[in-house]
Amino acid sequence: MIEVSELSKSYGQVQALKNVSFNVESGQIVGFLGANGAGKTTTMDIMCGCIGADTGVVKIAGFDITEEPLEAKKSLGYLPDSPPLHGEMRVKDFVSYAALLHKVPKKQLKQKVDYALEKLSLTEVRDRLVGNLSKGYRQRVALAQAIVHDPKVLILDEPTEGLDPNQIAHIRELIRSLAGQHTIVLSSHILSEVQNTCDRIIIIHNGTVVQQGTYQELVHAMESGTRYRLRVSRGSDQILPMLKTLEGVQNPSLGADPLAIEFGLSAQAKPDLLDDVIKLALNQGCGIRELTEKTKSLEEVFFKLTH
Amino acid sequence: MSAVFTIAFRDLKGYFASPKGAAIFFFFLLLMGFFFNSFISTFLEMTQRAPMFGGEVPTLETLVRALFYNLSFILILVIPAVTMSSFSEERRNQTLRLLLKSPVTASQIVFGKFFSSIFILGLVLLCSAVYPGYMLAFGNPDLSVILTSYLGIFLLMSAQVAFGLWVSSMTTNQFMAFLFTMFGLFLLLILNWIAPNLGGGSWLESFFKYIASTDHLEAFLKGLLTVADVTYFLCFIALFLFFTNIVIDSARWR
Repeated sequence: MIEVSELSKSYGQVQALKNVSFNVESGQIVGFLGANGAGKTTTMDIMCGCIGADTGVVKIAGFDITEEPLEAKKSLGYLPDSPPLHGEMRVKDFVSYAALLHKVPKKQLKQKVDYALEKLSLTEVRDRLVGNLSKGYRQRVALAQAIVHDPKVLILDEPTEGLDPNQIAHIRELIRSLAGQHTIVLSSHILSEVQNTCDRIIIIHNGTVVQQGTYQELVHAMESGTRYRLRVSRGSDQILPMLKTLEGVQNPSLGADPLAIEFGLSAQAKPDLLDDVIKLALNQGCGIRELTEKTKSLEEVFFKLTH
Repeated sequence: MSAVFTIAFRDLKGYFASPKGAAIFFFFLLLMGFFFNSFISTFLEMTQRAPMFGGEVPTLETLVRALFYNLSFILILVIPAVTMSSFSEERRNQTLRLLLKSPVTASQIVFGKFFSSIFILGLVLLCSAVYPGYMLAFGNPDLSVILTSYLGIFLLMSAQVAFGLWVSSMTTNQFMAFLFTMFGLFLLLILNWIAPNLGGGSWLESFFKYIASTDHLEAFLKGLLTVADVTYFLCFIALFLFFTNIVIDSARWR
């Protein structure tokens, strides 16, 4: 549905994007993850035809955004990072203006506008001026503007920015409900958001795509064998050298908690090696408190990739 | 075409939703009123005095021409006020993205903005018709001269709007757009007088004189409708709308 290949863009001396390529299948939700200034907004602006790229091609639903912009933009809904709102318009007028710009037929106009307003629970503020609304409402009006013409492709730049936790949950639910009929790309610097809503994650750093795949794939790619965490009540430094001599145990080390030892198991380790580790600890009279499998959070993956 | 009207209609509503539209009408009519008042009293004074000193009695045509000359100067203040926001405010509010990401062409955006400005300024001109109307009610000026003058002023105004849109499309700062438009329009009007200094009798002088809008307007104010002058204004409009189109469209490939 979306094809981005070899995108490069520089602002004067600053190279914002370097050979960014990715594909998004129809019906997927893809998270675009990156720190501030990583190139998320630039990529999205180029994808929507708001700015041009130096090199590279973007195809939306099979149409090149620079060669056939009208066709491509018809199937595109975009929520930019700063909501493009006319403060002096009423909510319903603004949303119908956006619908008209996107060539919604006059006959369907009212129905589509009502549907978008309802979907974002804006019905009670439909007659208020956009400029008088709070930030959360404004963000939702901007979202309504993006979905009113029922686009095949939705590009959302930090959609939950500035919303309260209830609204964030609501928007996430909405995005989930839009999946399937729509292809969605959403950017964020909040990891949990991407982790919860997206089928696939693309991590961008300093203008290059550093990693892409599903959440599990990303975490898996970063794992070199499973890590375990053993917490004892005393004497952790005492058993640490002993663990090092145990065959199959990989780089045991003291964690942030001085009573906890973190270690990995090599692929050749015998199946009941964990029992040996516990026996060792018990024999030394350390007192076992906890033995857990450590899975990496997206935060760690992200941190590792971008540092 | 419908996209052009969608954009133009929204802009028009924008003018009247804010005090901006009302302020433009207020100051324009106030200025026109002041000048009309002083013109009339000067006119009456001269008609009374002229026979005493053996001079020529001024005709109503002189009064009409003075009125429209004056109008063309007031437009230098009004037009930048209307066009300054057209693109720069949208750029600043990020609402230009709304247009750029929509399935509309750059020329549709430019024409939309052009028509909305033309429409509001057309309304302003319509309001100014009270003064010639006043003369028609209490005197007998030549109606056809008034009509050609209006046509000339309208063409001049459209050309100035096209110029103002071009300036506005290049900046995010409304005040800069206002200043540069006003300066540019003023230069265009006085180019006629400074042409001899710039070109010193050569072809350059006649070139600058041709570019200046003053001579072209003068024919209309005399009641002359010439193809050359109409063409001048139409070319001017087309040229600057084209420039604006390039500025807006360049966002896609720059």
